[in-house]
Amino acid sequence: MSSPLENLETQLEMFIENVRQIRIIVSDFQPQGQSVLNQKIQSLVTGLQEVDKLKSQVHDIHVPTEVFDYIDQGRNPQLYTKDCIDKALAKNEEVKGKIDSYKRFKSHLLQELSKTFPNEIAKYKAIRE
Amino acid sequence: MMSDQFRKVEQYSPKSSPRGARSPVVPRQDSSGTLKTTISLGKNPSIVHSGPFYLMKEPPGSAGECDLTGATNLMAYYGLEHSYSKFNGKKLKESLSSFLPNLPGIVDGPGQEDNSTLGSVIAKRPIGGKELLPLTSAQLAGFRLHPGPLPEQYRYVSATPPKRHKSKHKKHKHKDGAPPGQDTPLQDSSNPDTYEKKHKKQKRHEDDKERKKRKKEKKRKKQKHSPEHGGLTPSQHPAP
Repeated sequence: MSSPLENLETQLEMFIENVRQIRIIVSDFQPQGQSVLNQKIQSLVTGLQEVDKLKSQVHDIHVPTEVFDYIDQGRNPQLYTKDCIDKALAKNEEVKGKIDSYKRFKSHLLQELSKTFPNEIAKYKAIRE
Repeated sequence: MMSDQFRKVEQYSPKSSPRGARSPVVPRQDSSGTLKTTISLGKNPSIVHSGPFYLMKEPPGSAGECDLTGATNLMAYYGLEHSYSKFNGKKLKESLSSFLPNLPGIVDGPGQEDNSTLGSVIAKRPIGGKELLPLTSAQLAGFRLHPGPLPEQYRYVSATPPKRHKSKHKKHKHKDGAPPGQDTPLQDSSNPDTYEKKHKKQKRHEDDKERKKRKKEKKRKKQKHSPEHGGLTPSQHPAP
């Protein structure tokens, strides 16, 4: 059983193939090709019906509009995914760095505070525990 | 001039505080309950924090909070390591056609040129919600064409894109050597079964070719090493 996306992909590919074939038929039209053309036009309608049927299966898939911008500019949309992953990773590392720094700062602060205010820090630690 | 400016400011100043009736000067009580304050009224009203520590909050994660922060490797947490290694390892090609190698025609140009952008589909949604019905014979009569080739100005779409290297993603459809978009013989794409069969057949054909090639090479090697032949091909043997 293929996934809904694969089904949609196959249907769209078949639809595109159908259009391509219609283009070939009409680019140098022969009178005997009329019945084939009619058949192809009907299969276009069938193809659209099939795609329409599949829409319920992919309604929960969200696509960022930026991806469309990439496609409209004739660029590979995977570049967008790569860019997002790179940015997410960089941000993740940056935040981890900050958290680690704060942790070090906290332990250092506690250490220094316990030297200066030993009683208070002992109380503090008791509450924390 | 100056007074005008002040008047303007007054006009736009909010009538009520954005914080409601709360004074921003007086700090609010801690919801965690760790802060204890004593408020003394009288001649000199004051707020004294009598709790153990001011600003002491529960440490994150102790009160059953979600512990997911940037300290975790979020790529691994969400199981995206595979995607990361996939995109990080190889250099992606810029063009759209490298992503959609099976698409006929030229797809790398900007969509604005022929008003075929996906953005325009979102901006101006097509009419939908109507049932898709097959065309009647009367409607099909509208598609009756004149025999002969298309006029010159409509032929630009027949142009084939430049040859590309075959990508691994290329699954099917086009025969060997023929770049996508080139007019290959018509096949019945309306039936998914025949569609699948065709690809399988094609694959099998390729496999057969490879197997034959390997067999031939093996044979040649054998001939080279066998003492009988002495490394000569049958055509090189002296005539008796």
